[in-house]
Amino acid sequence: MRHLPHNTHTGLSRLGRYTVGRRKRLTGVMLLAAVSAAAPVAGWVIVGDAIDNGIKAENLTRLTADVVLYIAIGATAWIIGTTTWLMLAGIGQQIVLDLRRDLFEHLTSLSLRYFSQQKAGWIIARLTSDVDALSDVLNQGLTTLVVNSMTLVAAIIGLFVLDWRLGVVALIILPPGIVVTRWFQTTSHVAFADVRTRIAAVTAQLAESVSGMAVVQAFSRERAFQSEFAELNEANRVSNVYAQRLSSFFFPAIEFLGAIATVGVIFAGAKMIDSGSLEIGTLIAAMGMLQLIFQPLQELSELYGQVQAASAAMTKISTVLDAEQDITDREGAPEIGRIAGHLKLDNVVFAYGDEPVIHGISIDVPEGGCVALVGESGGGKSTTAKLIARFYDPLEGSVTIDGIDLRDIQLRSLRRQLGVVLQDPFLFSGTIADNIRFGRPEATDEEVAAAAHAIGVDRVTARFEGGLDHVVREGGSGLSAGERQLISIARALLADPRILILDEATSNIDRPSEILIEQAFDTLLRGRTSVIIAHRLATVRRADEILVIEKGYVTQRGNEAALLAEEGPFRRLAETVHGLPARDVA
Amino acid sequence: MQDVDPPDLTLWPTLRYLYPLWREQWRLVTLGLVCALAFTGLSLAIPILIQRTIDDAIDGGDTSLLLPYLGLILVIAALRFAFNFTRRYSTARIGIAVEARLRGMMYDAYLRFPRAFYDRHATGEVISRATNDIYPVRYFIGWGVVQAIQSVMMLVGAAIVLISVDAQLTLIAALAMPPIALLTYVFAHRVHPISRVVQAKKGNLTEATDEAVIGIEMVQAFGREDDVRSRFGDRAEAVRAETMRQAGIEARFLPGLIFLPSLAIAAVLYFGGKDAIAGTLTIGQFTLFITLLLQLVWPLEALGWIINLGQRATAAASRSFAWLGSIKALPEPVEPKHLPEGPLTIRLENVHFSYGVGSEVLSGVDLDLAPGEIVAVCGATGAGKSSLLNLLPRFYDPTHGRVLVGGIDSRDLGLAELRGSVALVTQKPVLFSVLLRDNLLSGRPDADWADVLAACEAAGVAAFVDGLPNGYDTLIGERGVNLSGGQRQRVALARALVARSRVIVLDDPMSAVDTETERHLVETLRPAVAGRTVLISGQRLSTILVADRAVVLKDGRIVENGLPQDLIRLGGAFTDLFGDEALAA
Repeated sequence: MRHLPHNTHTGLSRLGRYTVGRRKRLTGVMLLAAVSAAAPVAGWVIVGDAIDNGIKAENLTRLTADVVLYIAIGATAWIIGTTTWLMLAGIGQQIVLDLRRDLFEHLTSLSLRYFSQQKAGWIIARLTSDVDALSDVLNQGLTTLVVNSMTLVAAIIGLFVLDWRLGVVALIILPPGIVVTRWFQTTSHVAFADVRTRIAAVTAQLAESVSGMAVVQAFSRERAFQSEFAELNEANRVSNVYAQRLSSFFFPAIEFLGAIATVGVIFAGAKMIDSGSLEIGTLIAAMGMLQLIFQPLQELSELYGQVQAASAAMTKISTVLDAEQDITDREGAPEIGRIAGHLKLDNVVFAYGDEPVIHGISIDVPEGGCVALVGESGGGKSTTAKLIARFYDPLEGSVTIDGIDLRDIQLRSLRRQLGVVLQDPFLFSGTIADNIRFGRPEATDEEVAAAAHAIGVDRVTARFEGGLDHVVREGGSGLSAGERQLISIARALLADPRILILDEATSNIDRPSEILIEQAFDTLLRGRTSVIIAHRLATVRRADEILVIEKGYVTQRGNEAALLAEEGPFRRLAETVHGLPARDVA
Repeated sequence: MQDVDPPDLTLWPTLRYLYPLWREQWRLVTLGLVCALAFTGLSLAIPILIQRTIDDAIDGGDTSLLLPYLGLILVIAALRFAFNFTRRYSTARIGIAVEARLRGMMYDAYLRFPRAFYDRHATGEVISRATNDIYPVRYFIGWGVVQAIQSVMMLVGAAIVLISVDAQLTLIAALAMPPIALLTYVFAHRVHPISRVVQAKKGNLTEATDEAVIGIEMVQAFGREDDVRSRFGDRAEAVRAETMRQAGIEARFLPGLIFLPSLAIAAVLYFGGKDAIAGTLTIGQFTLFITLLLQLVWPLEALGWIINLGQRATAAASRSFAWLGSIKALPEPVEPKHLPEGPLTIRLENVHFSYGVGSEVLSGVDLDLAPGEIVAVCGATGAGKSSLLNLLPRFYDPTHGRVLVGGIDSRDLGLAELRGSVALVTQKPVLFSVLLRDNLLSGRPDADWADVLAACEAAGVAAFVDGLPNGYDTLIGERGVNLSGGQRQRVALARALVARSRVIVLDDPMSAVDTETERHLVETLRPAVAGRTVLISGQRLSTILVADRAVVLKDGRIVENGLPQDLIRLGGAFTDLFGDEALAA
């Protein structure tokens, strides 16, 4: 017992809240299950009656009545069984659906801080494999659990009602039965957990080799990988063999205990028949009921492992559900209304953990103005941009738009007026048009086409048969970085944002594509306030003010000409930007 | 270009592959079958003994027979326990062993498969062929085959026993039994396609999850949380709907499977009861009929399952074996030539290349690299730079023309020797989920640590390694520290330097490195690769400037060739690519 994890209850108890509002249906289905579980028990009672009062009494009418009743009960159990199965599945799947939606909604409302702390793969596993484990239990497991435990209870009650003395005799195998079952639960829980770990390791190694096959083959590391894999594969085999040995022992053992109980019941029954206190039909019915006790016991034991896995899954799911939403709307926060575009950062300090990464940055961009942030990576440029989009709140100081602190307005109303273009633009699966429409789903086809044309996406799509309706998959594979970037810029344009944030939007792109994108910026920036983070001078040049950000401080600010004129970090950066340090090319 | 997507094998070739795997386990198979036979016999003996107990000792009144009969039942039950355990354990081991063998074969094959294979097949598909797809094979070969034989033994045995008791009653009772197997089979047949649909719908849901998690910044930046939620919600609802469709079929079939044996028992109850009243059937025999009929339900159900499982197993195996049988590794020479000592030359002669589908990527490339020379390959996105570079470590063979390394056609060299001499660094390099130290050493595990440190210094790894929690002993990847794109590129660069290959191929190796670091790298890289022949591609002029000479790739051919400085002045393709950048200075 002490090897058993104690979180079974706490893990699954959270599911209890999802039964609220479904309690009536659950109670109803339990009653139905109880009725259908009682059917096979009643069947054996009828067989007993047919023997004693039909055959032994040589009463054909009674026998016929018993047969009709037997079929009627079987048919009723069939219909009720079907209904129970459907209802339970319906309730279970509804719960899974609610849980999935809740989990996803909560997840999408968490701040970037959460996503930067947790690995994407970990989060995705919570929403997929963990919920699936729960779904399995709620789907087949719930039915197995309810029907089998009801059958078990009904058979035990039936046995005692039939003849309590036989019931007591049958109980002799209860103590060893409990011991064996407990032993199996404990050891198999550990064994099957081990199997899961081992197969996960095998799969992980496979996944890594397959995605890194180019490197494995390039370095001729096949043999090392082969032996590493062989080791994991063998460990998985050994672990499986052990787990199978346990269940190979358990189920025959329960069968054996059943045989002992049967022998005990026959022995006691024979004595009672001899003394005239028992009819032979009752004895045969009692033997039948013993079978009804042992079969559910086996199925329930198999279910136990599933429940354990589901409970572990629920515990992990809970860590996501319990993650704190640190960027939320203040109670009754108003919408910001149409943004004019006066952006101001006032002495902003920010830290991801304990150490501040932004040390009192102040920026003032007038309506329609453009500010550029330059500096080495890791200096705090992107963090500053994220503070403007309120992905984080400043530790000290404030970020205001049109004089309103971002913490005082509805987040959604702010973000709907922002346009963000990132270095590695993310495309969702769907058509290119869907991706452009992402920022403003209600846009008409004409508006999408216009935005695509203004940015030059139509030149990209010309090579596809479907044009803008070309379907992109898996994060935009099949499109070059430059092409994806153009689409993400068209997306920002169509959203018609009041404030634009371009975070190294052109760093990853060949020069001809970049020229296209630079031209697209002319269209995009017109009449909007913008914050540009860039490496290239050509991109930075268009800004009204350039800020050099180093190690969380603004170390230099001014327009391009002024900054180039003075000795300082900008000049050094400008040299690197062109990749022409000492050597004079032209 | 060889076929890397062969059609699935048909049934017989599949079985021809599967049979030797099964035969390898012949000891366990024999043991399982012997135990199955013994188990069947003993399982039939117990109800017969109970019948005798009822008829002779209880109903017949000869109580002295009671204890011997019951004692015998206990002994038989104990024996049955032993045989049952051995049968289950041995058959399970057959399946597990076959699973492990097949997976090992798949993995070994994966290591040999050419690049073209991985271009064609999604990672998920390749992985599931060696994991989930094997399970039907495991359960069919392990459990299915022996259980099917045991089921047939049980059916035949029970039929013999019952017919010897009362042939007519057996015939009547048996009427309801074959439909059990049929119903199970039809059920499995109907439910299986739906469960595939459920899996596919779950795949869609996973995709929606992936996108939302990876693209969360976009979602939140545009305030589109409600849209992705409703998209996710719709897909979750689709999963629910399909699962319910599956439950609908289960609900229609499974309770029915309990009802059918009830009909058989009702028949025994009525006709057997009449016989018993007439005195032609004893109470014990009557009970024997009911007990044995119930005992036959599972073997019959099992037959239905196994037939379906067998179909799934052969379907899964037919795909795996098609891969194992038809996809060949790159052909290696029977008598490989060897590379000369010292720095190597590289020569491409009239190289044409296409990926098999679509137009030709390279159409007649001629290129010469002197030993120790650094040459940059430039060109717009999609010009064929990566395709060209991938020919050097022989990830692909040219469709026409030759690639010569050290003056020898790369196809005449042993693959291990060639790849041991050519190191490739890609734009999105793959690092393994092991310690940083082991990643660096993966090209040459016995490298001197001082060499590794020098390589890390030159490749800019040393600059960030102190910031990692455990320095060089930091675990990299999903379970450890996620390095940034630029850091990964630098590790890959160091890894290539450590490998001490005489040819280094760098495919846009600094695209994700920030400019300051890139400048540093450009300075340290040249001395670090001294004496090695280097082919490098890049999008930025700063990367190109590391080279002695640059060539421009356009429309599958080399259109310009010369010093970067000269090419800029030329005002041609090179100037189109980098002109602004240079002029801005």
